[in-house]
Amino acid sequence: MASLRDIKKHISSVKSIKQITYAMKMVAAARIKRAQTSILAARPFAGEMDRLIADLYSELGEEDLSGSGARDLFEERPAGGPLCLLLITADKGLCGSFNTNLLKAAAAWLKENRGRKICAVVAGRKGRDFLHRLKGLDLEIVHEMVGIFPKAGYVHAQLLSDAILKLYAERPVESVTLIYNEFKSLMTQRIVTDRLLPLKHHILEKAPSGQRNSGDFSFEPRKAELLSALLPRHIGAQLYRTLLESQAAELAARMNAMESASKNATELIEGLTLKMNKTRQAMITTELNEIVSGSEALGG
Amino acid sequence: METKKLLLTIVTPEKTVLSDKPVDSVTIPAFDGEMGVLPGHASFVLQLKEGLLHYKEGHHKEVFAVLSGFAEIHKDKVLVLAEAAELSKEVDEERARQAYQKAKATLAMRGADLDLDSATAALRRAAIRMKLAEFRRKHKP
Repeated sequence: MASLRDIKKHISSVKSIKQITYAMKMVAAARIKRAQTSILAARPFAGEMDRLIADLYSELGEEDLSGSGARDLFEERPAGGPLCLLLITADKGLCGSFNTNLLKAAAAWLKENRGRKICAVVAGRKGRDFLHRLKGLDLEIVHEMVGIFPKAGYVHAQLLSDAILKLYAERPVESVTLIYNEFKSLMTQRIVTDRLLPLKHHILEKAPSGQRNSGDFSFEPRKAELLSALLPRHIGAQLYRTLLESQAAELAARMNAMESASKNATELIEGLTLKMNKTRQAMITTELNEIVSGSEALGG
Repeated sequence: METKKLLLTIVTPEKTVLSDKPVDSVTIPAFDGEMGVLPGHASFVLQLKEGLLHYKEGHHKEVFAVLSGFAEIHKDKVLVLAEAAELSKEVDEERARQAYQKAKATLAMRGADLDLDSATAALRRAAIRMKLAEFRRKHKP
């Protein structure tokens, strides 16, 4: 049986852990508010951007498009080239199953595409470490970004999109797949596996059916050039949204994990306190017993 | 007769700066030169480069620093999609200058863990801010 001293030590260590987890929960709760606001603030920009691109794309004839940089991003590429994976994880742990699930999804994707050459672009320390640990795969980490959360800004999204577009232009990458956690609500996150490039089906899906008459627009510079300048920004905006979502989801996951950790610590402390009191009581009883039996033996 | 107004909207990825603000005229830093927009302008889509965006509302004038982006003019509505937009009041010249120096120093140093892209971006941003502060100084009596 553990001595009284041991139990006391245990209690105090659990107490300090509880303080830490509770503080982490509060920090996550405070940050999540800001993360949500920035998601909301990013929405109008992305919406207007999508609309503008859909308008432009529907205006463009095939002959306008051919030979411009924009066309490259739209068209399907011949199969067989390397695949590109964009993995967005958290930098830090202690957020429940947030990273584990992501890495599982990434591993499943990698397994599916076993035997292909894979270029990876990764944001977040956990994902990077995971990919570094992998062996026996034809995998190359092209670009990594670490330490951007929880202050991910548009600059980071732009850097990511630059890296991806560079990769896409330089090599015959077949497609770019994006794996990240979507922020659904404070309680749930959802893992999303999405195709980032090529763009074609993406934009056509979004194109509004009720076309407004935009035939009387003038463009400066020419449409195709405009579109090729617009698309990288579109990808930037999309990645920005993704980063924000992932950031908010991470904070939400951490908040939940830390909350249950604090709760567990409280329960543990209760149990230990009970055990401590019992031990103390047992000690007192034994001592009393000894005194009584001792005095009986003497007086007897 | 009531004069026609333009509705100006400026959005950046990080926030909505202006939303349907009625103004008299807007000057946009377009890709190959500044472009003035008055009510009744033809529909237009254009690319921006980093520069100063002015608008006038009555006798009130306001200047923004915008980084590259796009603008759409349609039916007296001006929509500006910029990567960043800052009001001239918000720009602190001294800080901009310091940021400029710092970005330059970082670029010159080329340390081991240098984030080259972000340093270049910072430099560009600081430069346009300084331009804005200079403009403000010149145009203020």
